[in-house]
Amino acid sequence: MLSAIDGAPLRPPPTALADALAERYAGFAGWLRANEFRVTSADVAASMDVARRMGQLDSDVLRWSLRALLCSRAEEWRRFDDLFDAYFRAPNRTRLVETRVGGAGPLAHDDDSDNDAAPRDTSEGTPLKLAGRDARGGGAPGDGGTTADEGATARASLAHADFRHLHERDELFAIDAAIRRFALRLRGIETRRERRAQTGRAIDLRWTIRRSVSRGGLPVELGWRRRQRRRPRIVMLLDVSRSMSLYSFFHLRLARVLGAHLPDVHPFMFHTRLVGIGDALRDPDPWRSQERLQLLSHGWAGGTRIGECLAEFNRRHAARLLHARTAVVIVSDGYDAGDTTLLGDALAVIRRRCHSVVWLNPLVDRPGFAPVSAGMRAALPHLDLLAGGRDLASVERIFPQVLARLQ
Amino acid sequence: MTAGTMTTDRMPDVVALQARLAQHGFIAARSFAAALLLTLDMRRPLLIEGEAGVGKTEVAKALARLLDTRLIRLQCYEGLDAHTAMYEWNYPHQLLAIKLFEQDARPLSDKEADIFSERYLLKRPLLDAITATPAPVLLIDEIDRTDEAFEAYLLELLSDFQLSIPELGVIRAAEIPYVILTSNGTREISDALRRRCLYQYVDYPSFERELLIVRTRAPDVPERLARQIVEFVQSVRQMDLRRKPGLAETLDWVAALLRLGVSALDDGDDGVDRVMDSLAALVKTREDQAGLTRPVVEKLVASC
Repeated sequence: MLSAIDGAPLRPPPTALADALAERYAGFAGWLRANEFRVTSADVAASMDVARRMGQLDSDVLRWSLRALLCSRAEEWRRFDDLFDAYFRAPNRTRLVETRVGGAGPLAHDDDSDNDAAPRDTSEGTPLKLAGRDARGGGAPGDGGTTADEGATARASLAHADFRHLHERDELFAIDAAIRRFALRLRGIETRRERRAQTGRAIDLRWTIRRSVSRGGLPVELGWRRRQRRRPRIVMLLDVSRSMSLYSFFHLRLARVLGAHLPDVHPFMFHTRLVGIGDALRDPDPWRSQERLQLLSHGWAGGTRIGECLAEFNRRHAARLLHARTAVVIVSDGYDAGDTTLLGDALAVIRRRCHSVVWLNPLVDRPGFAPVSAGMRAALPHLDLLAGGRDLASVERIFPQVLARLQ
Repeated sequence: MTAGTMTTDRMPDVVALQARLAQHGFIAARSFAAALLLTLDMRRPLLIEGEAGVGKTEVAKALARLLDTRLIRLQCYEGLDAHTAMYEWNYPHQLLAIKLFEQDARPLSDKEADIFSERYLLKRPLLDAITATPAPVLLIDEIDRTDEAFEAYLLELLSDFQLSIPELGVIRAAEIPYVILTSNGTREISDALRRRCLYQYVDYPSFERELLIVRTRAPDVPERLARQIVEFVQSVRQMDLRRKPGLAETLDWVAALLRLGVSALDDGDDGVDRVMDSLAALVKTREDQAGLTRPVVEKLVASC
């Protein structure tokens, strides 16, 4: 199949062939990069080396070797075969030759409706990762029909949110200052592991002896050990349903700034389903970040199915993200249109696997608040802390409580 | 086809490596064999990710047997530091030497050079791996359990195959070891480390491959029972479990069933009883065991 490429009607001289090969692998690397693979220029050289070592005539061997070289995580691994087919298979290949000047962009895919090798690309140039995530989440406009049965509030909203205000500077600066103070005070959870320190609770004999070698064996300087503190991993689950729409943007900004100041923050947003937004929020280009959130925001300001979303979190992400030093922060008003027993069960599972669960409910700040909604009642037994947090002032007010739970 | 830029097709080599791995007790998919061949060819580290119990560690063991070389294993854990993994000075001996040197008339610099010589260096797995000849297989197991700091230490080793020891200088690898890293994905590994490695994702085996593995590892299981067992395990994996049974669990369960004297799973009530008794070898959390009730097991057995 691949040999058809090289068997072009006019056989080019060897140098042109070498150039064509270089171009072909560089093009493939670019194609992967356009689809969100982390491929570097060193990988281009390496992939030519691999192709030379493993031979280019057998498409399977070439596929397996390039996959081992160019993939670096499971999620890329699963998409590689489709991308490989899309790039190297004959029908696409001819188009690629025609558009060689422009490089191998997603164009190669566009009007190729009879190509059954790769799934139909409806993403219109969107990285497949994002498009695929939408499809997996089952939030295609078509399945509104099933959710409608559950009542008006559980209906998935098809409206997109307007993310232009996400990066408003003044607001971001204020949040930034507050979160910086928060990060400074977050010393972390004390672990049982000990590390060397200038002062501590016990003498580190090995290190003391090591230091005494330079003093002819006299322990002049003592080495100490003390318990290590490690910052918690923070998983944020943000409710962006209609009832939360007043606060959602604030909490998104909060998540973005928190992610910038602390290393191990994993934000998700949920309404009728759950979407990871870590990559989109971290995107250094604010415009692209907005675009990506836009794509993920199917269902924004719709109904809420908290229980189902938490259960989905447990199914898909818990094993990877939750450990003994994870703090789970849920931001929601607790108005759940789904099954509240599911909410209780899912939260119990989360609580068992992590360090602490903090629930921020913007309604708590209202005078006379009592957690009486069905969702809140189901959640309450599993929470370490229920606090407010409708705006920056109230979030700062609860910092000491949150810090106390987190460490 | 112009010669020079192309080599001969490597498919026969891949098939041969697959067969040799099978001889050494590791049943690999052909694509995996291709990646391993590339690892051996380029001497690039191979990062293997996948669920627990799909045989990631076995790869390194089989590779060491195949190459007839040493397997050096570094089991990672949280808090693993450079001293435990790379090298450490033998302080008690150094101190003893200092005391003995007090009567020695040699100049001070000589004594110092002597105290910090390789004689007093304790080799931990990583230093051991780069100084050993012939090239050993270095297995860095469950790399995701360490912290970022240790990962950074590994970078120098995995890109240049050298270690710097401040008192002694840079130690270069005598022969580049074959490095296999495994990860269960409990923590995201840094891009820098991933970039230095070839990558392989291992999924749960297909029915055919799992059957082949059971037949290879437990040759005295009757053909029909082996099929039933594998089918049962495959359908258990489809269930919504907290911890799905891996290959290791399948093999454990095979051994358990053999000990219980089971000849077929659908052996009436008796067969189901035995399956219920031995489920401890297959599902290993309380919730999962509660989920596999007798009616569920009966239905699964009936469909095998």
